[in-house]
Amino acid sequence: MLKWYEETDKESPNIVYSRIRLVRNWDEYPFSGKLSREQAGEMVNRLERGMRDFCLEDGRDFDYMPLENLSDLDRRALRERRILNETLAGKKEPAGLILSRDERVSVVLNGDDHIRMQFIAPGMHLKELWREADRADDFINERFDYAYDDKYGFLTAFPTNVGTGLRASAVVHLPSLSSGRKFASLLGEMSRFGASIRGLYGEGDENYGSLYVVSNQKTLGVTEEEIVEIVEKVARQLSSQEQQVRDRARAADSLGLRDEAYKSYGVLRYARRLSWKDAMVFLSRLMAGASDGLLEFAEPCPIFSVMLGIQRANLQKITERPLSREELDVARASYIRAELPELKLA
Amino acid sequence: MLCERCKTREATIQYTEVVNGVRTEHNFCAQCASELEIGQDFPLGRLLSGLLGLGAGNPREEKYSQVVCPTCGTSYGDFVKNSRFGCPDCYEVFDLLISDKIRQLQGSDRHKGKKAKNAGQPAEKVVTAREAAPESAGDCSLEEQIARLYACQQEAVKREDYEEAARLRDEIRRLKTGSETDA
Repeated sequence: MLKWYEETDKESPNIVYSRIRLVRNWDEYPFSGKLSREQAGEMVNRLERGMRDFCLEDGRDFDYMPLENLSDLDRRALRERRILNETLAGKKEPAGLILSRDERVSVVLNGDDHIRMQFIAPGMHLKELWREADRADDFINERFDYAYDDKYGFLTAFPTNVGTGLRASAVVHLPSLSSGRKFASLLGEMSRFGASIRGLYGEGDENYGSLYVVSNQKTLGVTEEEIVEIVEKVARQLSSQEQQVRDRARAADSLGLRDEAYKSYGVLRYARRLSWKDAMVFLSRLMAGASDGLLEFAEPCPIFSVMLGIQRANLQKITERPLSREELDVARASYIRAELPELKLA
Repeated sequence: MLCERCKTREATIQYTEVVNGVRTEHNFCAQCASELEIGQDFPLGRLLSGLLGLGAGNPREEKYSQVVCPTCGTSYGDFVKNSRFGCPDCYEVFDLLISDKIRQLQGSDRHKGKKAKNAGQPAEKVVTAREAAPESAGDCSLEEQIARLYACQQEAVKREDYEEAARLRDEIRRLKTGSETDA
């Protein structure tokens, strides 16, 4: 079965994926930070038992794994694929992960909050993902009473999540827009609509790959539909502005851009050693070139999947041993050589 | 490469720090990184405290930091430090202290949107959590007494009458622990 990141979505160019995250707490226990080891173990077991028929409801195949059974490396690899957050990757207390085989749906038990549901899809699908999350949420709430307050809504450990407990986000690819002089002010502009924007892999010039995460700033005093609407609007707006800049550049110098895309492919296809930075920069150019039809692969090639694959923990999992930085660069280059399909020759 | 902090585990996290334009690179293992709170989605504690002008040195805040949630033992000081609540009851206990701050942070202090299926059955859970204290059978339930005392306490805090607030806090604590031992 294909993972969500191995699929391609042509409907919304420059929008790599969208994601809904919903956090809830069971009213029978204090928040996760205050649970004793015993309480945490008991709560995770009770939640897991209560959610065993979750898969039937959803129609997908799910696996359950207690987090303490996973190695540090496995956790880091899950972190790279956005299934665990940083807290969970390092958590020592009992915690559980319910994960669909395609990795689109995950439910984490006893992270920062008792229940953290996540729904991901390639491209812009926030509305559908929210509907799915809403159904899953009802399903869980039928089994477990939530910590809920008429004034503050769904109660969460951090006040930054209180109310809806909803974080909607979209990852947009903005290679041209982000290199422009007005980018910083453009981001400021967007944040006035209640969206926050940050680099997926770092800030400023360090954000190699030019992937940006748009998400809602507020979780309280706005409805779920409004949150989804804001994030979708801002992401689509950024994506279309990016496209305009690229279309103008292509109209001015089509050959130059085609050359850049082919050269990037050449480096990625034949290099023997690739640093994270180089790999991300060339993959980003290739992503833009392929999206604009400057070159065409012989078979579908979801480039974001390659970007996920070239990260440290995943490469170490493939080689099955810790790697020095030099070895990592060699492993990265060989991974990319294996993953990149041939080009359709024009 | 070994983690530069513990020098025993393999470093899996590269951390680049830019302070006033000067870049330094670090390599940590997952455990040390999490202890150092590196790479958290939000370095929330410090961020929020800074944002809201909380923290040590502010005499008002220091006075409030004595207020403790009787259910989980989280003090207002803990909240200021970690920007994190200990249990659902904290929201009620610290309500007046935090509602301005939550409004600042979220632009609102009132939930709008989906409701929990179990909404509208509050207080009850406090009772069940404590196996229903005998007093709750009376005319004025323990919850009501405590709720009233909270209100008074928060009023006292508002008018900066800290002695009265502290007295009320102890009174609330006494009632709460009383109900636990009675149960």
